[in-house]
Amino acid sequence: MTPGPLLLFDLLLPAVLLWLAWRSLTSSDLFRAVILFIAFNLLLALAWVRLEAPDVALAEAAIGAGVTGTLLLAALTRIESAAGRRLSRPARWRPAALVLTGTALLAAAAGLLWSLRLLPTMPGGLGPLVDRHLAESGVDHPVTAVLLNFRGYDTLLEVAVLLLAVIAIWCLDEAVPFLQQPLESPLLTGFNRMMLPILLLSAGYLLWLGSHAPGGAFQAASLLAAGLLLALFSGASLPAQWSGLPLRLLLVLGFLAFLAAAIIGPLTGRALLHYPPAWVKPLILLVEWLLTLSIALILTATVIGGRPTGSRPYPPPASPAAEGRQR
Amino acid sequence: MDAVLLTHPWSVWTIIVPLAAAVLAFLVPRRAPLAGIITALSVALFVAATAYRIFLAGPHTQMLGGWQAPLGITLRADGPALIMLLTSGLVGLTVSLYATGYFTAADRQQRYFWPLWLLLWAACNALFLSGDLFNLYVTLELVTLSSIALAALNGSPAALDGAMRYLLAGLLGSLSYLLGVALIYGAYGTVDLTLLGQTVRADGLSRAALALMTAGLLLKTALFPLHFWLPPAHASAPPPVSALLSGLVVKAPLLILFRLWFEVFPDTATAGMAHLLGILGCGAIIWGSLMALRQQRLKLLVAYSTVAQIGYFFLLFPLARGEAAATAWVGVFLLVLAHGCSKASMFLVCGTITRLAGHDRLAGLAGAGGTLGARLLVFALAAVTLVGMPPSSGFIAKWLLINAAIVAGQWWYLATIALGTLLASGYVLRVLSLAFTESQSPPLPVAPRILRWPPLALSVVAVLLGLAAFHPAVLTLAGAPVSGIILLEMVP
Repeated sequence: MTPGPLLLFDLLLPAVLLWLAWRSLTSSDLFRAVILFIAFNLLLALAWVRLEAPDVALAEAAIGAGVTGTLLLAALTRIESAAGRRLSRPARWRPAALVLTGTALLAAAAGLLWSLRLLPTMPGGLGPLVDRHLAESGVDHPVTAVLLNFRGYDTLLEVAVLLLAVIAIWCLDEAVPFLQQPLESPLLTGFNRMMLPILLLSAGYLLWLGSHAPGGAFQAASLLAAGLLLALFSGASLPAQWSGLPLRLLLVLGFLAFLAAAIIGPLTGRALLHYPPAWVKPLILLVEWLLTLSIALILTATVIGGRPTGSRPYPPPASPAAEGRQR
Repeated sequence: MDAVLLTHPWSVWTIIVPLAAAVLAFLVPRRAPLAGIITALSVALFVAATAYRIFLAGPHTQMLGGWQAPLGITLRADGPALIMLLTSGLVGLTVSLYATGYFTAADRQQRYFWPLWLLLWAACNALFLSGDLFNLYVTLELVTLSSIALAALNGSPAALDGAMRYLLAGLLGSLSYLLGVALIYGAYGTVDLTLLGQTVRADGLSRAALALMTAGLLLKTALFPLHFWLPPAHASAPPPVSALLSGLVVKAPLLILFRLWFEVFPDTATAGMAHLLGILGCGAIIWGSLMALRQQRLKLLVAYSTVAQIGYFFLLFPLARGEAAATAWVGVFLLVLAHGCSKASMFLVCGTITRLAGHDRLAGLAGAGGTLGARLLVFALAAVTLVGMPPSSGFIAKWLLINAAIVAGQWWYLATIALGTLLASGYVLRVLSLAFTESQSPPLPVAPRILRWPPLALSVVAVLLGLAAFHPAVLTLAGAPVSGIILLEMVP
């Protein structure tokens, strides 16, 4: 491998990342800031690829750029006026405060960079140890083994964080449909007809891949959520009688399954999350499948951004006669 | 029987039960208060069982998933964790009982209070038991995010504003902490507290990591002068939530700080750094008390009193160096327990008063005889522990701290403790004096029993704990990073 072009790329990438971050932070137009933010995250995913962390890259692209970008855009649509999306000039800093804060931040950053020289050049992380115990973990991919077995407790609590996000959002507001009426364009319909099966298929593939290669529940769930959102954009909606207990049950299903699997241990005289050796693989797969479903719904629910009102998300369709007049 | 009692990992159930109950409360909102009460009673039971096991068999650990550190995560039930669990059990049980009476209308607040609070409870207990730097980050995030959601519960503009500040401060704190964890993992290849305690070198990298993590956690504990987000968030939340935020949540990052400074980085932290924290603590005690004296609203007064009390906890850093270590350690942990109980009780009384009088303006509470006067009396009883009058647990705790200051020869901390106590009695008496002012006020209805008894019970417990402080004091030292004998220069 010749270092020439790649070295140039490695030098350019951080510079572009910093520039994008700065532009996004200083942009007075919020829409522009969000687009720059999405671009920043996509390039950050590239940086992870260059650091040979394909799992993180996938997660960064799917969650950092995809889900977070969508969330920010959905939040923007809730700010009604175009003027509201434009920030007024930030309050002028007093020069003394600016100099003091700037100096303090620069000093802290310099100290931090200086201390980095003490980091070992060859990281002695847990990689080798994980590889040694991979056979006992029930899966063949080290990242999945860490997430769902070795440090499964962290993941259990992280899923609780996701669930918490939905509960907090539902507590704050009711859902408002982000489209006054479903978009009816032949382009969208055609796109959906093509994309929905592909998204579903690739979500399933990513999930299956997770047991032996980069992929897994979170990445699959964000693809599935993308599919659900596309369907929502073109007017699909959850039947009203499903938006109560059934929806809540689906949202918590993955977490409950994980929790149930976790307490097999203490109930049988083992530690929390210590699966019986014969059941390791099926338990992990079951938990991962249910988690994917629940996380996809959780992500969709956060983008919708409010508790279900129990009524139809869109006003009833106008009668054909009225539609004809409009045309 | 004893074999089960002494070998079963009781402490994990204090995490699992609230987690499961939170999900149930979300699924079936109608049954949420019932789920909350059952959880509260069982958590209290599991904490008692954990205490019994530590008392008889000493501190113990559990390797989650059966994986040994550094591969897996370790939970540790030791003395410091136990005192935190006791605080969490007492405060949680009382607030849960009170909340069944406070959120009565089947509305949005009642519907979402229970799942959010039960998640917060699970997260707090998980944090207290965690023995892993990264897992501590996850639990800390869960604690902060659920606290923010609870602070915004009533949806008023003031609450949303307070919650937003809380969110921004909380995120900045988390990121700073996480950056420190990344440095440590990069350097040592493990995030297990025990292993790190054996391998960490006192070099520039460790100092940078410690500084980053400490800065983040100081912001989260709201130590003066980083306390700006606390009063608005704590004062605009519903009273049961304020009780939880002040009584329980601010202590979560505090425990991480103690673990970092005394277990992971005992050699990295220098005397100068410890004194810096001590001085900030003194600043908090004086500034918070002065601000509390100036407040016109009861809830804000109590919130600023929290800012002041947080200062006392930070006296541990300078005082626990050298021979006074055990004395200061026990004193601060007893103070955590005492402050948790008394502050929760004070916020709950505030809630009852606001419910009865329709406001919490101090001027409007003058001449509050009758039913309000009785509430103010409960407030005063809780304040006995807060101020540190004998025989309350607050007294024992402050007395130990004063002794530690004398043993360590650091008289200026003694002066601050004395001044803080004086100022605290000032703002408490200011509230209490209202009850004796002669003025006609319209007769008010009597509050329902469930809004009257839990805060009273908690403040009585806080006072009586002072008489039975021996066992908690001994348990605090079980598996603690400091050891030695509790040195006393002064006998009451």
